[in-house]
Amino acid sequence: MKELAEHLQTPMINLLLSIADDKLFLGHRNSDWTGIAPILEADIAFSSLAQDDIAHASVIYELINTINGQDPDQIAFGRTADEYLSASIVSTSDSFNWAAAIARQFFCNHFDYIRLQRLSTCEWEPLASLAKRLTTEQAIHIEHVSSWVVHLGTGNEESASRMQEALDVYAPLAVMLFEKPEGFDTLVDDGVLHQPDDFFATWKQSLHDVVSSAGLTLHLDQIASDFSGGRSGQHDEDFSSSLAELHAVFNEDPAAKW
Amino acid sequence: MVIERDILDILETIPDPEMPISILDLGLIEEIEINDSSVHVTVLPTFVGCIALPVIADEIKLKVGELEDVETVEVQFIYDPPWSTDRITTKGKTDLATHGITVPDGTTCGCTSHAIGVDLRITAIACPWCESNETTLTSPFGPTRCRSIHFCNSCRQPFERMKKV
Repeated sequence: MKELAEHLQTPMINLLLSIADDKLFLGHRNSDWTGIAPILEADIAFSSLAQDDIAHASVIYELINTINGQDPDQIAFGRTADEYLSASIVSTSDSFNWAAAIARQFFCNHFDYIRLQRLSTCEWEPLASLAKRLTTEQAIHIEHVSSWVVHLGTGNEESASRMQEALDVYAPLAVMLFEKPEGFDTLVDDGVLHQPDDFFATWKQSLHDVVSSAGLTLHLDQIASDFSGGRSGQHDEDFSSSLAELHAVFNEDPAAKW
Repeated sequence: MVIERDILDILETIPDPEMPISILDLGLIEEIEINDSSVHVTVLPTFVGCIALPVIADEIKLKVGELEDVETVEVQFIYDPPWSTDRITTKGKTDLATHGITVPDGTTCGCTSHAIGVDLRITAIACPWCESNETTLTSPFGPTRCRSIHFCNSCRQPFERMKKV
């Protein structure tokens, strides 16, 4: 289908916002490492990951524009905190701990890759074709971050214990990625989105494959079905400080052309 | 009268802003539609949201617009079909190699052991300078979003590779 029925438009916008907002904030957090990552290659990589994620977010904001006509820059930067639908892990500070940055990226990338893979079979063609394209780029992210998890896990005692600690700290936040944006079930019930298998189980398995080859362990508990957090617009302090930083330049002159 | 051959000739002279070959050899051009004096060019971006896109669109509009009988030029970016390194022409691949940039061949890895089908192994990549397979990946991310950085242990030279997408 090329056109979305009217009652599916808001649910689709919420879904697209949850994806794009995840990418915008994760990209913004990753860009903190530009210039100060542990080694030059990691510096280039995190800057590239940031550039990729923010570029992907912008294309999804443009897709929202095709539904509601809103200016993509306004969607990205012109909303109030409770209108952002990102999960809290993407904006959580890593306190410049490299293992923490890798853990955050690891959980989010595997989630995003599988999410896009599933969306590439969606019945709304504009999203399906975009998701298909984004999946191939996201595969490069997964490959990179997973190799870092293995690298740190099999490095020395200190790197392994710091990687393990970061996985333990981020795991409870990572499962919140599974909070459904409002109207998600309508998209499924109306046959727009397909649910080929258990998303959570696939994600867990994909993480486990890497974590076990890194000699580390991972414990993940699913969130309650009535869990309400970032995807419902309820955010923490880390989100607020990240948003304030993101908005700072835009608010100087919201009508500026870039 | 506007003919497609003239437009292709023009597109062949427009360099990609980030790669040392033309946008035509890079395989970005998907379709050219001509309606009397208006031209519609459909372009496939290499990477989604690539920052070079506005530059590419402006160049096409400017250069094709200079053709006799052309009055309007529209440029549209689409993601379906997706661009892939398989679209780079043979000439493009040869030119890239002379700049030390290698292109993945059409073969894909059949590895599906990973739960979501992503291959974590880095396979041998031939050096564009000396064709040796004794190379290592220095960085999966390079000077642009579509390139990675490698090193050849045989001829001791760095080189780049277009990412396989």
